[in-house]
Amino acid sequence: MIVRDIMATKLVTIEPDATLAHAVALLKQHRFHHLPVVRPVQLPTSTDDVHGKSRNGLTFEGLLTTTDIDLVAALARQHPAQGQQPWQERRVVEVMHRALIRVTPTTSVAAAAQILVERGLNYLPVVEYSHLEQGSQALLVGLVTRSDLLMAFARAMGTFEPGMRLDIELPMGSSVPLARTLLLAAELHVPIRSIMAAPLVGGVPSSAALRLGTINPGPLLLRLQEEGIHYSFGSSLVEGNGHV
Amino acid sequence: MSNRISQQHARLMFDQSECRYYFGPDHPLNPRRIQALMDLLACGGLWDSADERTRLDGRAATLDELGLVHTPEYIAAVQRLSEPETQTANERRSSSAQAVSKEEPETQTANEQRSSSAQAVSKEEPEPEGLSEEERREREELALRYGFGEGDTPASPGLHEASARIAGGTLVAMSAVMGLPEGGVFASEDERPLHIFHPAGGLHHAWSDRASGFCVYNDVAIAIAHVLQASEAKVLYIDFDAHHGDGVQRAFYDDPRVMTVSFHETGRYLFPGTGDVLEMGRGSGYGYSVNIPLEPFTEDDSYSEAMDALLSQLVTAFAPDILITQHGCDTHAWDPLTHLSLTMTGILAQMKAAHQLAHTYCNGRWVALGGGGYDLYRVVPRAWSLLWAEMSDQQAPAEMPEEWVQRWQPEWLATQAQDVAVQQVMGNVVPPISFPTTFMDRAQDFPPRPRRWPISRTNRHTVGLVRHLLVPGSVRQAFPSPRTRSPLAGLFDLLHMNKASTPSRSKTLDTSAGSLLLRDFCPPSLVERLRPDSGLKAFARLPEREHHLLLNIAKSPDCALTLAHTTTGEIVGEVTIAPADEWWEGIDNLYEVAIQVSTNWRRMGIARNMLAFSLELDALEDMILFAIGLSWHWDTEGARISVYRYREMMVRLFASQGFAEYPTTEPNVSMEPANVLLARIGKRVDQRAASQFLSRLLNSSNLAHF
Repeated sequence: MIVRDIMATKLVTIEPDATLAHAVALLKQHRFHHLPVVRPVQLPTSTDDVHGKSRNGLTFEGLLTTTDIDLVAALARQHPAQGQQPWQERRVVEVMHRALIRVTPTTSVAAAAQILVERGLNYLPVVEYSHLEQGSQALLVGLVTRSDLLMAFARAMGTFEPGMRLDIELPMGSSVPLARTLLLAAELHVPIRSIMAAPLVGGVPSSAALRLGTINPGPLLLRLQEEGIHYSFGSSLVEGNGHV
Repeated sequence: MSNRISQQHARLMFDQSECRYYFGPDHPLNPRRIQALMDLLACGGLWDSADERTRLDGRAATLDELGLVHTPEYIAAVQRLSEPETQTANERRSSSAQAVSKEEPETQTANEQRSSSAQAVSKEEPEPEGLSEEERREREELALRYGFGEGDTPASPGLHEASARIAGGTLVAMSAVMGLPEGGVFASEDERPLHIFHPAGGLHHAWSDRASGFCVYNDVAIAIAHVLQASEAKVLYIDFDAHHGDGVQRAFYDDPRVMTVSFHETGRYLFPGTGDVLEMGRGSGYGYSVNIPLEPFTEDDSYSEAMDALLSQLVTAFAPDILITQHGCDTHAWDPLTHLSLTMTGILAQMKAAHQLAHTYCNGRWVALGGGGYDLYRVVPRAWSLLWAEMSDQQAPAEMPEEWVQRWQPEWLATQAQDVAVQQVMGNVVPPISFPTTFMDRAQDFPPRPRRWPISRTNRHTVGLVRHLLVPGSVRQAFPSPRTRSPLAGLFDLLHMNKASTPSRSKTLDTSAGSLLLRDFCPPSLVERLRPDSGLKAFARLPEREHHLLLNIAKSPDCALTLAHTTTGEIVGEVTIAPADEWWEGIDNLYEVAIQVSTNWRRMGIARNMLAFSLELDALEDMILFAIGLSWHWDTEGARISVYRYREMMVRLFASQGFAEYPTTEPNVSMEPANVLLARIGKRVDQRAASQFLSRLLNSSNLAHF
């Protein structure tokens, strides 16, 4: 999975010359905590573009967060200076930060997740680099937030598909039982909605959790038993009759 | 048969063509079970297919009717995938504008097996020929896209026709009970059936654009959608199948006119994996999807306890016009596909509960459907015969008819070895290898489960959570749950510690619409003499039911009821004070306050006066009082204000009595920003109890338990 698959592309943005008052209105209206700051730009037609039309793009200038605005507002209240411009009329470009930590659409979701966690961020701008007249420019194409990642995680676990859960024991981290289970599932036409076999401790997975799109696992379970593959159809279910 | 008193009010719908809903001899859902059922009904003298007074004829649903729930693309795909194979590719092209492809190889083998088996439903299916590669691929793509691709719900010839027939049957049944034109014409209102049983129905897993879990067209959702379209009715759907009724829940997830209630085995491991308590509906349908996920190996007692604790309260609060129930009997201990461990006793309890609800709340209007049930010969025929006997007020005999057992036992024996093996790999206790000869189960065949106690305890927690989240406060107070630990003292003693005043006080309140009498500690005798005002319906939705609730509250020794009534005896407002529910267990002297004023008597300051009056208590400073405002119970339409304005109004009302707003992680309150928790901690309240309360407010650990 790459960032392109999970990023939000319908973005609410603001231009650098807009006022903070406008930014506050947008943030309140959408209940957001951050706004990407962009400048519209005409992209040169690429040679392989059949229609020859010029495309519009957005160059990414920075990010404006509610924290940035709070800080400005608090400072203005603390030092009320005569004749100074009220903070609401200040320009976005004066307050925003450059948000230099960015990802591209082809960054892997795992890498994006790691950046979010390590840097303690809630969102990452997704940009593409393009050569324009004024040199290389970052074009904003999307935004990845923690909730996008959560949705991607839930989807990867098969949560949104009807199905049942089956755990396969992987003794000594061997993937053979899992591979044989998958072969059997294919043979019996049992659709697989999701497979999770992540190492929790010691770098070796001890079990794999499958989500199977079937209401009738009996035939598959019979074959698993025949082949001596240890499974649990819910550890809490097993009443001492030998599985796992 | 023994008695046929009101049998003419119950009808059964069955047609041989419904048995064409068939996926092959090795498939768990086998129409033989319906045939065994019909045979048992005939042998037992419970139903005579020739008797027109107890029979209702169905028809196939039209494409428009199917389209009430399913997308046109899906319906077209089902039609294409169930094209008979007798047509050649050219004929098919000419008969349909869209290119159609032939049967895929997997289903071919299934068909061959089918024609070789001795099934009564077998059809003539010649070998397909001349499959072009392109056609086959297109067909496979369709099957994959719409949920027929693999395993559970294979495409087969005639599937569309059989499914549409079943959907039409349920639609006609519901229309007949509701008195809608599609239900047919009856000689007189007296002949209109009140209860209809449609054993082939109940295909509750189908999605709007996907076949799932043996279900192609969602007959339940289609019939409900038809009723919603053709009338103003509110529909209550109760799903007793061991699998979550996900398709029906999805279809009406944001619709407040349909309440779906599903009792099922938890989706932690079992298909379809959904059905958590917190799936409660969306938008204006919030609070109208109810899920009770039960532990694997739940037995009769715990199951009945869950039903008893919830059904009446939910139905009282919803006030439906018609009841539709799905009676999947895969809840039985012998069923090979699930882990629930009911016997016929528990299954009969479902039916009796449904019957009683239909008569108490829906004027008897009740449609019952079949559903799951994969112990084809030992469970399904018995369970659904009992259902029909219950609906038609007949007494099923104790013993199974001899000739029926003779006929069907051999068929069961042939499949029995496979059953035992499947039971074992599913982690079930292997059932005794015997064929039942009585309608009810024998206790000795069902030894108690080893983990009975923890299972019941977990189920009790689940029920408590559902009660807490989905039953409005004052309805809940009218159905007090049996307490294991009585509160510190009886409320009455606590409220009247000096014992000096008379139990019930009264006060006159002058309003612009006339003077009102306020009375606290209203005894049941007083409530009986009074009538509810027509606008008093915030909790039970109908004034008569509200009256019934008030009576129950007055009878409860733990509750204090304050009423405002006119001089002519019409109740226009109420305040109830009752011990907090299970959620708050362990906190002493904690009471929940609920208040409502008739819609006809708003904006006269009645609420404020009534609240002040009911809180003139000697023990006020010894109590922690709280009120929960949930936006989905608010009559914002009647009051013509937004939920946020309503919230402000509530906060102001309670602030006048010293209540303050507290932030909380209590799941219901935290679910919507408009919801609010208001509390008043008395001055003499023990420090320990107060801090216990405050920490409980912000401690959602109870939820993690589920």
